[in-house]
Amino acid sequence: MRPSSFFYQIRQGFKNIGRNKLFSIASIATMTACIFIFGALFSVIMNVDSVRRDLEEKVGVTVFFIEGTSDERMQQIGDEIRAIDHVTEVTFTSADEAWENYKAEHFASNPELAEGFKDNPLANSASYTVLVDRIERQQGVVDQISRIPDVRQINQSSAAVRNLASFNQVFTYISVAIIVILLVVSVILIANAINLGIQTRSDEIAIMKLIGSTDAFVRAPFVVEGLILGLIGTVLPLLLLFLAYSGLVRALLMRFGFLGEMGDVLLSPASVFAVLVPIGLVLGLGIGLFGAWITVKRHLDV
Amino acid sequence: MAEDFLHDYRKAWSFMIDLDHVSKQYEKGLAAVDELSLHVDKGEFVFVVGDSGSGKSTMIRLLLKELEPTSGIITVNGRVLNTMRHGQIPKYRRSIGTVFQDFRLLEEMTVYENVAFAMHAVEAPGRLIKKRVPQVLHEVGLSEKYRSLPRQLSGGEQQRVAIARAIVNSPQILLADEPTGNLDPRNAFEIMKLIEQINHSGTTVLVVTHNKELVNQFQKRVIMMRNGTIARDVEEGGYIEA
Repeated sequence: MRPSSFFYQIRQGFKNIGRNKLFSIASIATMTACIFIFGALFSVIMNVDSVRRDLEEKVGVTVFFIEGTSDERMQQIGDEIRAIDHVTEVTFTSADEAWENYKAEHFASNPELAEGFKDNPLANSASYTVLVDRIERQQGVVDQISRIPDVRQINQSSAAVRNLASFNQVFTYISVAIIVILLVVSVILIANAINLGIQTRSDEIAIMKLIGSTDAFVRAPFVVEGLILGLIGTVLPLLLLFLAYSGLVRALLMRFGFLGEMGDVLLSPASVFAVLVPIGLVLGLGIGLFGAWITVKRHLDV
Repeated sequence: MAEDFLHDYRKAWSFMIDLDHVSKQYEKGLAAVDELSLHVDKGEFVFVVGDSGSGKSTMIRLLLKELEPTSGIITVNGRVLNTMRHGQIPKYRRSIGTVFQDFRLLEEMTVYENVAFAMHAVEAPGRLIKKRVPQVLHEVGLSEKYRSLPRQLSGGEQQRVAIARAIVNSPQILLADEPTGNLDPRNAFEIMKLIEQINHSGTTVLVVTHNKELVNQFQKRVIMMRNGTIARDVEEGGYIEA
């Protein structure tokens, strides 16, 4: 296509939107609503997933040894565990450390009660805490550890993570269903807006075809129109979402900031929007392009 | 046998328009065009006359490849339309200028834009458009009105714009379907003079009309159609009622 034809088509695309104001506004409004809801659901999915990953990294298994295992043997067991695939971290807790931790946790308000124990009641409680890269690989690692001689017991505390993972999965399915419905609605509305434009310009299309315009040339202004509607209908909700999300993160930081880690509960706006913006743009422009394409295709047989 | 066949097709290619036993039946079963055979030479001016429903408009639509014939072969400027692929139609239509009774101008575009639109539609370079459009507007006598909108023009002027749009891409054939149907006698005569002038520059012209006075005045070849076929074909003839 010649540059002059290219710019002519772009101008025609903008003119189409102007001639068809009401439907253009309706399309942009629907797109905005759809992409906003999509973005909001997507942000929630990203955050839930991030919490799950975070927990996966923190929740491990605890490995105990049979009574009388020597320090040297314990060290050997530690090395064997480290050699297992997907193990990311192995931390040793001696029996004394285990008792100190227990006291700090349970006798903090009544330290005199702990004094009643002359010997370490957790003398047989030295352990390794083992972290795995992904929660679904934990069971395999546990099975391998259980085959190591002198290992007495393995405690898994992954129930919470599993619940969170399955919640996220269900939430993702529901979100995907909602998003698909919204996308279909968007395509139909954009197609309607363009269809109306085509009907009001059927003379123009007929003349273009009779003069000898190619299908691509007839289609181009409508495609430009669809892309512009898609672009505006994406940028607007992404901007609104960015403001809303940043505001939410700021509000949480101000309210729960003193709780330290609570401030990290939500992903930063930058990390969410680094993913959301390209996906949103591809979706929005895709909806615009697809809506225009299917609509013009039906009217090109002149 | 084969030599006759080749001879017929060589002959068909020598014509600007050649319809060889062409029929067009619509779904209802009635033949709008029935075994129609017609030859138009390069540079010829032909009036096609006949009552409503005699097949004139169907013939125009067949020539524009808006319709496919049910049978028969249509050859235009050496191109057989029957075998033409969808992708080749735009290029073919660029060789034909079309004028309609209702002008079919784009109401929100100025005179200049309406004519330039035809050049944009065939992806002509911008500088050629700027050069050619004023030239054609001058030829049809509308240089002064290039900024007017169609509704600000008289019927005759609107048809001039339509003619300018039809010839701006220098077509080899001009098809005019009732070009004077909406005009008063004086404007009708002037439009026909303009079409004759275009014909003199080498463009083959086919004018479908009901206007007896004009047909009689211009003394061109007249083809009278009836029931989808040619009832009469006279060189330099007049309009004789069927």
